[in-house]
Amino acid sequence: MSGVDRGVTGRQPQAVRSALAVLEEVARAGAGVNAKEVAEALGLPPATTYRLLNLLVGEEYLVRLPDLHGFALGAKVAGLAGGFTPARVPTAARQVLGELRGRVRAGVHLVLVVGASLRCADVDPDLPLASTALVEGHLHASALGHLVLAEADDWRAVVHHPDRLPALTPATPTRAAEVDACLARVRAVGWAGQVGQLHEGVGCLAVPVRGASGLLVAAVAVSSARGVVPTEYLDAARDCAGALAPLLD
Amino acid sequence: MTIHELPTRSPVAGLRRRGLSMVEVLAQSVSALAPSAAVVVVPSIVMARSGAATLPVLVAGTALVVLVGWCLTHFARRMAAVGGVYSYTAKGLGPGGALLAGWALVVGYAGIAVSALVGAVAYLASFLRLDAAGWGLGLLAVAVGALAALTTVRGIQLSARVALTLEVASVAVVVAVLVVLLLAHDGGTGTGAVVVDGPVTPGGVATGVVLAVAAFMGFESAATLGVEARRPLVAVPRAVLWTPVAAGVLFVVAGFAQVVLLRAAPVEILTSDVPVARLADAEGLGALSRLLDAGIAASFFACVTGSVNALARVLFSMSREGVLPAPLGRTHRRFATPAVALAVVLPVVVAVPAVALAAGVRVREVLTASLTFSALGYVLAYALAAAAMPLFLRRIGELTRPALVGGAAAATLSAAVLVVALAGTSWSGSGAVVVVFALAWLPGPVLWLVLRRRAPATLARVGVYDQATAGDLLPGQGVRR
Repeated sequence: MSGVDRGVTGRQPQAVRSALAVLEEVARAGAGVNAKEVAEALGLPPATTYRLLNLLVGEEYLVRLPDLHGFALGAKVAGLAGGFTPARVPTAARQVLGELRGRVRAGVHLVLVVGASLRCADVDPDLPLASTALVEGHLHASALGHLVLAEADDWRAVVHHPDRLPALTPATPTRAAEVDACLARVRAVGWAGQVGQLHEGVGCLAVPVRGASGLLVAAVAVSSARGVVPTEYLDAARDCAGALAPLLD
Repeated sequence: MTIHELPTRSPVAGLRRRGLSMVEVLAQSVSALAPSAAVVVVPSIVMARSGAATLPVLVAGTALVVLVGWCLTHFARRMAAVGGVYSYTAKGLGPGGALLAGWALVVGYAGIAVSALVGAVAYLASFLRLDAAGWGLGLLAVAVGALAALTTVRGIQLSARVALTLEVASVAVVVAVLVVLLLAHDGGTGTGAVVVDGPVTPGGVATGVVLAVAAFMGFESAATLGVEARRPLVAVPRAVLWTPVAAGVLFVVAGFAQVVLLRAAPVEILTSDVPVARLADAEGLGALSRLLDAGIAASFFACVTGSVNALARVLFSMSREGVLPAPLGRTHRRFATPAVALAVVLPVVVAVPAVALAAGVRVREVLTASLTFSALGYVLAYALAAAAMPLFLRRIGELTRPALVGGAAAATLSAAVLVVALAGTSWSGSGAVVVVFALAWLPGPVLWLVLRRRAPATLARVGVYDQATAGDLLPGQGVRR
């Protein structure tokens, strides 16, 4: 990026206030609201409203719908709220996870996927993840992360500093070619597995939970400290993901 | 349209998404415009037509292009397209207007790529002191073409970086040469003054404006990087507006310098193929003029890659819509570039000038013909896109008065420039170029008429862009009823 964006400076409080008001109005009115309606609801001059809407779309907090006149909140908005709202998992889904936990001798975890980020929503209480923060923060180093990255058109656009991926263990894939190879494997087989990339000696597999449209909405992970990918539970995990799909979509 | 109907995959998937920085997007527009080549070549040609009105003509041409650029930003802020001006026009004038503009753009990009290739060959030969003619120049064209193929298929990131570096270096050389010449200037007048302060005629002024507009061709090509740019709705409009503004300042200043210098020079220098280089030679700046050759050759080469990149992406877009055969929409598996479209385009762009040069046609003739050919295409596309802008804004309910006035003015003025260009080209005895242009542009209207009868559904898809997919939206938000 070529230096600092000087479009709106800190000396324009009214512009910032108006931009936030536009954002709030789109959230209140719902996806599909058009520019004229936003301008009328806020009493802002139309030209100002159009400029602010375009600015917010440019920054990806808003999305222009394919009809080109409707607006909706962008996935980036989730990043503002992500750290604070508790991830809700329906009771029926918790029961499905409970059944799988009763059958396998490994940790079973559920993560919810929003855009290119994941939230650990239900971690196995008996065999918990060593660190949910590491799983959520280092997509290149976990089976769950690989699922999410494999979904993106270009994983480099999703992770922070794609050229300087941190090595959490000696096995962590840190070079672009290594990550590419991992993701190609994931795309080919439809699930992800890794050993020792996040914590030494811990293996994990992850299967996708897809909504009716094929969108990745969540993932089920099975982790084991035996130093191998727990492939013996692959089918059970897949069945569990299949049962979760209608509950989480 | 409900948000539940959003696709999970963009219609233009396959290109490397969101990878290019602001600077690289800018590089695309700058390289296709080739400012250093334009500011050296165009002002003296304008002088020969417009005489004493040269500077106002350069300013008027710049103003018109900036106005067109401003019109295009209205699209660029709202949609991330691969087809550039073609996709934009579709959203305002519908598929018919889009195919007319789109094919004009294809013709324009192809023409400019040919003339830039010829320019690169000529200046390279001059730099290497090659006294080649015919076959030698033809082979040099093939070599330059092969190098362009390598950088464009390898990836837009590489070709953009190479192009911008070359361009910055050559602009620096041009500025250095002009400054040195101005410092050595003694304020006298030579026989060149007869032309520089020559009579002003309406026809001369009009053709001068056409030529000045032609100097900026390609400035809008960043609009074809909608998918590949990191923040396309921010980066593309900036590139499309600021490239002509910055290049325009350079253009007018360099034009002023050349007016001053050529007034004092003999008229033979003014009418020569390379007036600025001849001026440098006359001042005993042999080394500088050699450097100038290298700089202009580099600028022309960057222009070849820039135009071919844009051309391939327009064809890619048309293929993804079903207007052109599906293979043209395939991307390279490793480099994620529209490789098939590039493979179709490059041989044509290289073969035409290579064969012409090998057959002994003079460099200047190929250059002038291809430049005129491409100017007709560009200006037609600009006029249609400018006319489409207010219609597009009205359709989505975001029309403002400045946009309406600006769009109407840009469309009218561009159309006027086009008429003058057509008339001027026909008068000046190069009517053949107009005929060739008409033939090359014919596939556009023909495609439209055929598809309207045979495949209206395909026509309805015209104007695909990198639209929002389900993953871009915040899930679970309320929907307006």
